[in-house]
Amino acid sequence: MAQPPTSFTDEIGIALGNLADATTGAFTPTVRLGVTGLSRAGKTIFITALIHNLLSGGRLPGFAPMAEGRFIGARLAQYPDASIPRFAYEQHLAALTAPTPHWPESTRRISQVRLQLKYASKSWLNGWRGPMTLNLDVVDYPGEWLLDLPLLSLSFAQWSAEALERAHRHGAEREAKPFLTALDQIDPLAEATDSAAETLAVAFTQYLRLSREDGRALSSLPPGRFLLPGDLEGSPALTFAPLPPPTGPVRSDSLYGMLERRYEAYKDVVVRPFFRDHFARLDRQIVLVDTLRALNAGPDAVADLETALTGVLACFRTGDPNPFLRLISRRIDKILFAATKADHVHHTAHDKLEAILGRVVARAARQAKFAGAQTHSLAIAAVRATREGTIAEFGERLPTIIGTPMAGEKLAGTIYDGKTEIALFPGDLPEDPDSVFQPQTRVKLNFLRFQPPQSYASAEDGSPLLPHIRFDRALDYLVGDKMA
Amino acid sequence: MTEPFARPTRPAADPVAPPRAPRAFAAETVQALPPQIAAEFDVEPDLDLVTPPPARRMSLLTRVALWAAGLLVSLGLGLAAEALIRDLFARYAWLGWLGSAALAVLVLGIVVLAIREAVALRRLRSLDRLRARATQALVTDKQAEGRAILSELSALYAGRPDLAAARTELDKDRAGLFDGAEMVRLGERRLMAPLDARAKILIAASARRVALVTAVSPRALVDIAFVAYESIRLGGTIATLYGARPGFFGTFRLIGAILAHLAVTGGLVLTDGLMEQLIGQGVAAKVSARLGEGVVNGLMTVRVGIAAMRVVRPLPFATLGQPLVRDFIPELANVAKAADPR
Repeated sequence: MAQPPTSFTDEIGIALGNLADATTGAFTPTVRLGVTGLSRAGKTIFITALIHNLLSGGRLPGFAPMAEGRFIGARLAQYPDASIPRFAYEQHLAALTAPTPHWPESTRRISQVRLQLKYASKSWLNGWRGPMTLNLDVVDYPGEWLLDLPLLSLSFAQWSAEALERAHRHGAEREAKPFLTALDQIDPLAEATDSAAETLAVAFTQYLRLSREDGRALSSLPPGRFLLPGDLEGSPALTFAPLPPPTGPVRSDSLYGMLERRYEAYKDVVVRPFFRDHFARLDRQIVLVDTLRALNAGPDAVADLETALTGVLACFRTGDPNPFLRLISRRIDKILFAATKADHVHHTAHDKLEAILGRVVARAARQAKFAGAQTHSLAIAAVRATREGTIAEFGERLPTIIGTPMAGEKLAGTIYDGKTEIALFPGDLPEDPDSVFQPQTRVKLNFLRFQPPQSYASAEDGSPLLPHIRFDRALDYLVGDKMA
Repeated sequence: MTEPFARPTRPAADPVAPPRAPRAFAAETVQALPPQIAAEFDVEPDLDLVTPPPARRMSLLTRVALWAAGLLVSLGLGLAAEALIRDLFARYAWLGWLGSAALAVLVLGIVVLAIREAVALRRLRSLDRLRARATQALVTDKQAEGRAILSELSALYAGRPDLAAARTELDKDRAGLFDGAEMVRLGERRLMAPLDARAKILIAASARRVALVTAVSPRALVDIAFVAYESIRLGGTIATLYGARPGFFGTFRLIGAILAHLAVTGGLVLTDGLMEQLIGQGVAAKVSARLGEGVVNGLMTVRVGIAAMRVVRPLPFATLGQPLVRDFIPELANVAKAADPR
């Protein structure tokens, strides 16, 4: 039986929070933008580009308030929740614009930011009230943590069954072997010892880590905090592992009983507060999907990405809120699915990339539409790192992208040093999006990761203009109508 | 008895080119493209998506008859001119030369005028075509199409100092765009927005004038004449504003198009509420009969103006709303107040 993701007291807390927001929102409306994406999907870059473009009035011709000249300006405001660090926008921007630019490091902890946007309204009633203000709240967090959300509705036995089934799956032998051997040597019904639990947990963590490397690129392997424990490292709530179903009655002091308690503690202490504080009260959502990485790794990774996204997105509260309940209930009414790193393929392939994205998120999008939310898919690049060109090769003209691959990227036996600029033809994306799921028609693709652009054009005030692909359209879809 | 048979519903599949394998090249060997990417990689446009209905053509018989009539009239004119010159020469030689010179100037003038009219008609038609293409591009989202439309727009307004700033902005913004629909929207926001604002001011001024003249004019015939004059003038000004510059025949065509448009929308501009119009007229009529008529005529002018905008605007109303009749009601109410000092 599926368990509800939140407890009754959580629900009361959420409703009270919404009520408080609705009261203050009568003066300054707030939009909570959920930037959702598994790790390496580009959340940090997206948020950095969002803040920078809004703060410096970047070149966003497709963002209606800016294109129509109604956008007045933005500033970073104090975030109401004092217990969470602010999003390190300045550091991330500095990393991008440094003399030797590099992508910001992957996110290891949660951070948040509030942008205050000033704009002139189009409607005559609001126009008469003068410039309007809108607060835009964004939270950044490690993408690994997102994988935990589906756990909220799974019991220990259900989760164990799922995790073990996945570990036994064909193709996972190499990573799962040590863990499965360790599991065989343990009797789950024997009396619990900490050392046994630790051995198992270490083996399990190792298995998770191996599965997520580039060659496999599997996404849907909770619990996420095992990979990025933060300050919880080594605590009992993080020392458990899946066990096979018990063969006899479970005593509470047995290993099975102990791990089950720890699993529940993990949900209560780690997952539920994270969900309650950051995901239960969103207005808009952008789901960033690194389709290219999964395509590189093959059909297994793509299928796994689909499972992970569908599971994660089922946890969010989507749909059009009931107007009578709007005071105490918040729901996501618009979801944008974005295939990030669209600059890593030639623009003629963007349509195909969007089709593949649409196929990967089809189930999640259907759930959302059923609940009453609008969805849309786009291929975007929040910061465009490449240029485009053509090359004549074997009598055909190939569309290529020009950029500097990251150090250590490999193609056909060459390992790049992170300094040479190359023109890359990454292979043709398939016409039929279904074929990326089928192992027999394995498409030959090799997308490389590129360094950030080496130099930027600058705006009137001297701040760098971040080049992008369809970032303005994404922004317009997400908040444009709130600034009408 | 016919034997059972089966045939493939599709001809044998074309040999599918195998997917091309990934490759990398040294950067120096590449022909770098300008930021605007060459159109050759654009996907072929789907022609069957939105095809505009064929323009109405005259029947063959009518055309032959018109052609014959034109020939006869030309022959008659030629004969008359020839007779006139001959007569002039018969009187005095110098008078004949003078007549010939005048005739030459006349012919030259007519030719130049005809060319100008032809150009004006062409321009009017090209605006129509541009709008049809833009409507199509909004649906198909083809990049090459969007780029072509933007360059045509730029060319259309190249000689317009009032749009110079807007064009520079447009050129800066278009480099980063990849979608045809997005380019059309950008063009509308950058180039159409300032023109729309000015067209609205023109319409409001015309409507005010019409309302005032109707309110104070002694005879109904005067109002009608003034409304007709003002409408034609407004149509011409709006067409010039959007870059059509209609000539004599162009104006006829324009008026025809505006009338056709008004007929289709039944005098009401689509998306406008019937109620507001009725209420507006009712309130005005309460104030005084003449003022009421003034407001009605003013509203008529507004409708003509909006129809003219729809006819000559080179892009469809996609991101910017089309002006509505009710936007102009406050203007007319002001006139009513000014004209009625009670």
